[in-house]
Amino acid sequence: MIDSDVIVIGGGLAGLMAACVAVRRKEKVTVLTFGSGSLPLASGAIDFYNSKFPETAIKNLPVGHPYYRIGLPAIKDSINFLKDVTARANLPYTGDLSFQIPIVTAVGTLKYSTLIPESMDASLLGDVKKIFVVGIRGIKDFYPRMLVDNLKKYFSNADFNPVTFDLNLLGGRDINCMDAAQMIADNDELFINELKGLNATPEDAIIIPPVLGTTDNSTRVTVKTQLHAALIETTCLPPAPTGVRLQRALTKYLEDNGARIYKNANVFGGVVEENRITGVVTKNSVREKFYPARKFILATGGFYGGGIVMREFDKPHEPIFDLPVKYIVGEENWSNPKLFADKPQGFAATGIFVDSKMRPIDSDGQPLFENLHVIGANIGGKDFIHEKSLGGIAISSAYKAATI
Amino acid sequence: MSDNVKAIFSGDRCLSCTACMAACPVMAAIKDYRGPKLVAPAHGRLHFSQEDIEESLNYCSNCKSCDRACPSGVAISTMIMLQRAEYYKRNSHIRAEDMLAHTERMANTVRSMPFGVTLANIGMTLGQSLGVFSAMGITDKRNLPAYAEMSFKDKFPTIAQESSEKKVVLFTGCYINDNEPQIGEAFIKVMQANGYEVLIDREFKCCGSPLVANGFLDEARQHADNNVARILEWKEQGIPVVTPCTSCSLMLKEEYYELFDDEDMRRAGENVFDAFEFLEVLQQMDEFNYDLNDLNQKLLYHVPCHLKSQAIGLPAADILELIGGVTVKTANAGCCGMSGNYGFQKDKYDIAMKIGAKLFERVNKKDFDQVISDCHTCRIQIEHGTKIKPVHPIEILAQAYQFD
Repeated sequence: MIDSDVIVIGGGLAGLMAACVAVRRKEKVTVLTFGSGSLPLASGAIDFYNSKFPETAIKNLPVGHPYYRIGLPAIKDSINFLKDVTARANLPYTGDLSFQIPIVTAVGTLKYSTLIPESMDASLLGDVKKIFVVGIRGIKDFYPRMLVDNLKKYFSNADFNPVTFDLNLLGGRDINCMDAAQMIADNDELFINELKGLNATPEDAIIIPPVLGTTDNSTRVTVKTQLHAALIETTCLPPAPTGVRLQRALTKYLEDNGARIYKNANVFGGVVEENRITGVVTKNSVREKFYPARKFILATGGFYGGGIVMREFDKPHEPIFDLPVKYIVGEENWSNPKLFADKPQGFAATGIFVDSKMRPIDSDGQPLFENLHVIGANIGGKDFIHEKSLGGIAISSAYKAATI
Repeated sequence: MSDNVKAIFSGDRCLSCTACMAACPVMAAIKDYRGPKLVAPAHGRLHFSQEDIEESLNYCSNCKSCDRACPSGVAISTMIMLQRAEYYKRNSHIRAEDMLAHTERMANTVRSMPFGVTLANIGMTLGQSLGVFSAMGITDKRNLPAYAEMSFKDKFPTIAQESSEKKVVLFTGCYINDNEPQIGEAFIKVMQANGYEVLIDREFKCCGSPLVANGFLDEARQHADNNVARILEWKEQGIPVVTPCTSCSLMLKEEYYELFDDEDMRRAGENVFDAFEFLEVLQQMDEFNYDLNDLNQKLLYHVPCHLKSQAIGLPAADILELIGGVTVKTANAGCCGMSGNYGFQKDKYDIAMKIGAKLFERVNKKDFDQVISDCHTCRIQIEHGTKIKPVHPIEILAQAYQFD
């Protein structure tokens, strides 16, 4: 067995990002994952904060906010780093903290985000004459006419054209965007011919479900070179090719640079010597295995990822290191009965509090361990989903923890 | 209804998140398979309450990528195998399935006849060219593996060993015994160099992996009961059972228990080790022999799916890198597509080759001296797809212990 410089526990956006940063620093990295993380379910767009000007909003956050502890320089560096890694994997990302970029959802609403795959950038929709919305026969959960009905509310001057292509994808199972993306990556000829048949001009835009391959931008490049109009991918229901591409880009960077990713690795405890972690222990069905390292990064997620569990009410628990978990006291404060109301959920603030080095802290604000860092949705204090800061917290806390 | 409840009830933990679908190589290759989520946790639980079969479950290759992607620990592939067994209670097997599931029985028959091996090897070439196999449902696009002149178990008494207080039992598995006995000999060299005497147990039967994959579950259960009783007997004597075959070790360590839910199977699993996992244990106990020859080889390592599922890291890569001049790069190209006897089946051959394409492309870069893989069917597939013959990592290690 080889000693690692850094062990990252968790293979979601935060864990993969932290591992990539550590690998760039020439460290020997092992990633221990159990389940594939939520990237295949996500849009691949990374939201930083629900504000027209995220940078200004983040600058004005109070002292206790995770962004305050991470600090603006690390937040900006994390954006540049992610852009660099994805560009190397031929999956270019665009955006920065100073503004928000619109992306089109599968139902035709606009969602604003900070750091997005180039293929989803819908900024130019306000300037185009004609907007084609292309459905593909057989794909579930993508209805061009519904999308048009909703999108018209934003761009009332544009001429909308909903169309549906038949790419011979019927037969066999019901297909989703992931299936179509795979099939188009295997053979893009028919799709390109249909797109050309729209006779779209440089003043038009074509909106499609995210079907331009499952790995990187190569299918998009091939398709785009044969079209005059802009081509924009929407979000979709999971499994989402756009999220899968980001997962594959980060994983490829890790694998190309010698990091080890061990799946099915169910980490159940850490070994502590005074105020340092010396290793973590995984357990499969028959025996335990000890993984030593110099530094540990915990990225196991919140309630959704299993990084925080709660078997008894008011007793949330971090199962690996038994770190103190803060939460809102009182059952009545835990949830907002109006699930989709524009109010945070009390339970969602549950998590681990960290210092400026992303180390978990005790009730006096002192770090519990010198070499343990907690990132992403493990961090508590706010409803990151309501703030629309979950992705930003994930990559910036990962960057900060990995560069300490 | 099956008497196994544990695997089926693990389906209750499914969130329907689709991570398994994004990870399934068969879904990415063809449209006919409805995929792990729908077949296992969705349809699987309904199926076990009433007689209703989702026929596309026969496309599952049992590579277990779904299990490794699942964030909730659902025993997806095992649920599919249990349903497949139910399917074959009401549907008869085709000849190919019967033949491919019973490789051990066939080898024993062949070896019991005079000139049996020679005739069988000729017969396999003839059978292929005369279309006999194709008529049975076995693909004629690849060779069936030839039998070795003498099986490992027949050869074993003639292999000179230093006796030792420290002993292990080698579970050869069918392929090492009948087709590549030199891997068993390499294992003995390695264990002798580490002060161990290697025993074999002629009472062991095929681990049952091909039986399970082809729906012969009752027969697999008989093999399991037999093997588990033997393993427990060795356990009582303090002698571990070690195997260089990663599908055998997964079966003995974990799958018996998951399929049949018997406490003895879990206890037996504790006494079973993958060959390199065992060597890593020796390292941890400071009993590993570091006196190794330099070999100066660049190795490309295709990690078998069934090794990944064991969550033991990459002990073969770590140990081979102890050899002077040896570097190990992982291929990072996903599943090879072969999945045991799946790629031998006529109706699965094209799927297997499509899944393997990424790995073939990687191997065809030829930036290495040798390809290594612990799994024989992965090796068969790599050789078929690239004409480059891989070896088992234990053969490399045995070379490093060879001082003459």
